[in-house]
Amino acid sequence: MAFVAEQLLNALALAALLFLVSAGLSLVFGILRVVNFAHGVFYMLGAYFAFTAVTVSGQFWLSLLLVPPVVGIVGALLEASTLRFIYRRPPIYQLLLTFGLALILEESVHVLYGPTAKGVDPPALLQGSVQVLGAAYPRYRLFLVVLGVAVGVAVWLFLTRTRAGLVVRAVAQNSEMADCLGADVPRVRTLVFGAACALAGLGGAAAAPMTTAYLGMGVGVIVDAFVVVVIGGLGSFGGSMAGSLIVGAAQTWGAFYLPETAMVIMYAVMGGILIFRPWGLFGQEE
Amino acid sequence: MRRREFLKVAATGGLGASLGVPVYLRQAWAQNPIKIGMPAALSGGNAQYGIQAKRAAELFAKDIKAKGILGRPVEFIYEDTAGDPATAVRKAQKLVEKDGVKFLTGVVLSSEALAVSAKCPEWKVIFMSTINGAGALTAKSFNRYFFRVNTSGPMGARAISLYLAEAPLKRFFALGSDYAWGRDSVMSFESQITAAKKEVVGKDFPPVGTKDFASYIAKVRQSRAQGCYLALPGQDATIFLKQAHQFGITREVKPIMEIVELENMKTVGEAMVGTIGSSRYPFTVDTPKNRDFVKRFHDMHGTYPDMFDGETYEGLEWLAQVIQKADTAEDVDKVIEAWEGSSYEGLEGPFLMRKCDHQAVQLGFVVEVVKDPKYPHPVPKILATYPGDKVTPKCRTEEFA
Repeated sequence: MAFVAEQLLNALALAALLFLVSAGLSLVFGILRVVNFAHGVFYMLGAYFAFTAVTVSGQFWLSLLLVPPVVGIVGALLEASTLRFIYRRPPIYQLLLTFGLALILEESVHVLYGPTAKGVDPPALLQGSVQVLGAAYPRYRLFLVVLGVAVGVAVWLFLTRTRAGLVVRAVAQNSEMADCLGADVPRVRTLVFGAACALAGLGGAAAAPMTTAYLGMGVGVIVDAFVVVVIGGLGSFGGSMAGSLIVGAAQTWGAFYLPETAMVIMYAVMGGILIFRPWGLFGQEE
Repeated sequence: MRRREFLKVAATGGLGASLGVPVYLRQAWAQNPIKIGMPAALSGGNAQYGIQAKRAAELFAKDIKAKGILGRPVEFIYEDTAGDPATAVRKAQKLVEKDGVKFLTGVVLSSEALAVSAKCPEWKVIFMSTINGAGALTAKSFNRYFFRVNTSGPMGARAISLYLAEAPLKRFFALGSDYAWGRDSVMSFESQITAAKKEVVGKDFPPVGTKDFASYIAKVRQSRAQGCYLALPGQDATIFLKQAHQFGITREVKPIMEIVELENMKTVGEAMVGTIGSSRYPFTVDTPKNRDFVKRFHDMHGTYPDMFDGETYEGLEWLAQVIQKADTAEDVDKVIEAWEGSSYEGLEGPFLMRKCDHQAVQLGFVVEVVKDPKYPHPVPKILATYPGDKVTPKCRTEEFA
């Protein structure tokens, strides 16, 4: 029983991190119709910025609060200075651009921080473990679960209950019509792109105490996030949530029972979805 | 080519051409330096190791500046291989054919080393390993142009199994990354542990780049092992140790690493305290020569030397001693003869270059990671030291007597 609870929590903690990244990826696709290859790099930026912030200030909570807006601003600036000009071109241009941005940002981090991983310690409050049904479980992972749920609920409330959320959904559904009705579409795009990057940055900052900040963490996470959005449905917020849970569970239980094929399970699920429901579990059939 | 190198080449080339001086004379003007080529991984996932080799070379260059080798200046030429064997061969070839180096070192990955070493008989240049672990380099892939100054992978594994045979731990779990090195290490660990009448109660092979080890940690805990053997590359080991500490299992299960790197200690911090493993060069080894080296290294680079810093420095110093003895830096055969069977006083103790397979016989160390108020991060403390003949395999094999 304790073991089942532990694995369940492991799956949820992993799903929380995946959700923070894939929600933004999905949102950007919904609004901008761009598959953002650079999205994982913002996750990495979040982790490295958190390392800097914690080293300088010694305050984990302050860092967790400050890093996402900073990463969001970097993202918004990049969107406004590069992507904005090529929305009308064929998708291959946007792919190439975001891929190039990913390489440039990754190399910049390499130059700034050097090649070695950077460790971030969890705050004192979240160090050590607590007893969960008789098994010691790390406090920090419990916090990740709470964070994932809180952010999920907050974003969902924003999208469904606020006027700004309504505009975002309108642009996602039909950007030309939204434009005609007076929505400032370019501004919405920049803001959504920035917000998505901020979410990824939050994910990275939250992941740093668990995985350290290292080069290549962006590439690793973006592959998983793509699987999540394909399973859940590209552009669907609920889909990112469901997809994250499925991938988190597949990785956690797979690594335990079928370690040799843990990676395969995730892709097998994705393959199955692509064959039988290509628009994803929660996506809209086009 | 880097910008600065380009400018240098362009400037000397332009100057020489404009004066119409033949190539061989222009080289003589530069007081005919002895060139050492370093095709190292300076970017990509293994850059930290290439950078260690480079740091050691920079310190060595400074130390040797006053007297030189054979009265000639020493010049290092760095090339970035990004950790790719094909690139490593190409860069090494450039160093040999274009720059005219007779000595190559600083190659980081064993896969690169195997590829470069295979070309050395054709190029007639010496390849000195100070990093590469693969046993094959001094066994089935050996050629007489290859010299290994560093402790090899099998030698490190040997030291740790000699230690564990005596230790009170009886039940082990083995975790190896799912590729050649990880699987080989776990296999040889298993056979040595079984030979010592102890038990491997479980093993697993997580994929390279695993970022969440929770499931593996659950398995280690369920197995009720007393020690967990880890053959995970740098980054993966860092993440595993951090997470194992957060789960609190390092109190019940002793982490045992094939190699304990200082870089890991800096990143993992206190969560790594208590980990044991072999070390090729623990910078805390207490000899007068090493104390002096650590101080000079720290003065120059502002950090303490990791394994490959120490071993690369030793290799370069030994190479200089051998060139001096051979009284030539051009006749490679003479240098090889001078090196075979020669001895050298290294940072941590005496070294002997075996004639039969060019593996340097040296002390083997098992260390434990401890906190020490003198240092800003945990450091290796030597638990056991084994004499060279106990930890060096039989000639041209990966087996031990």
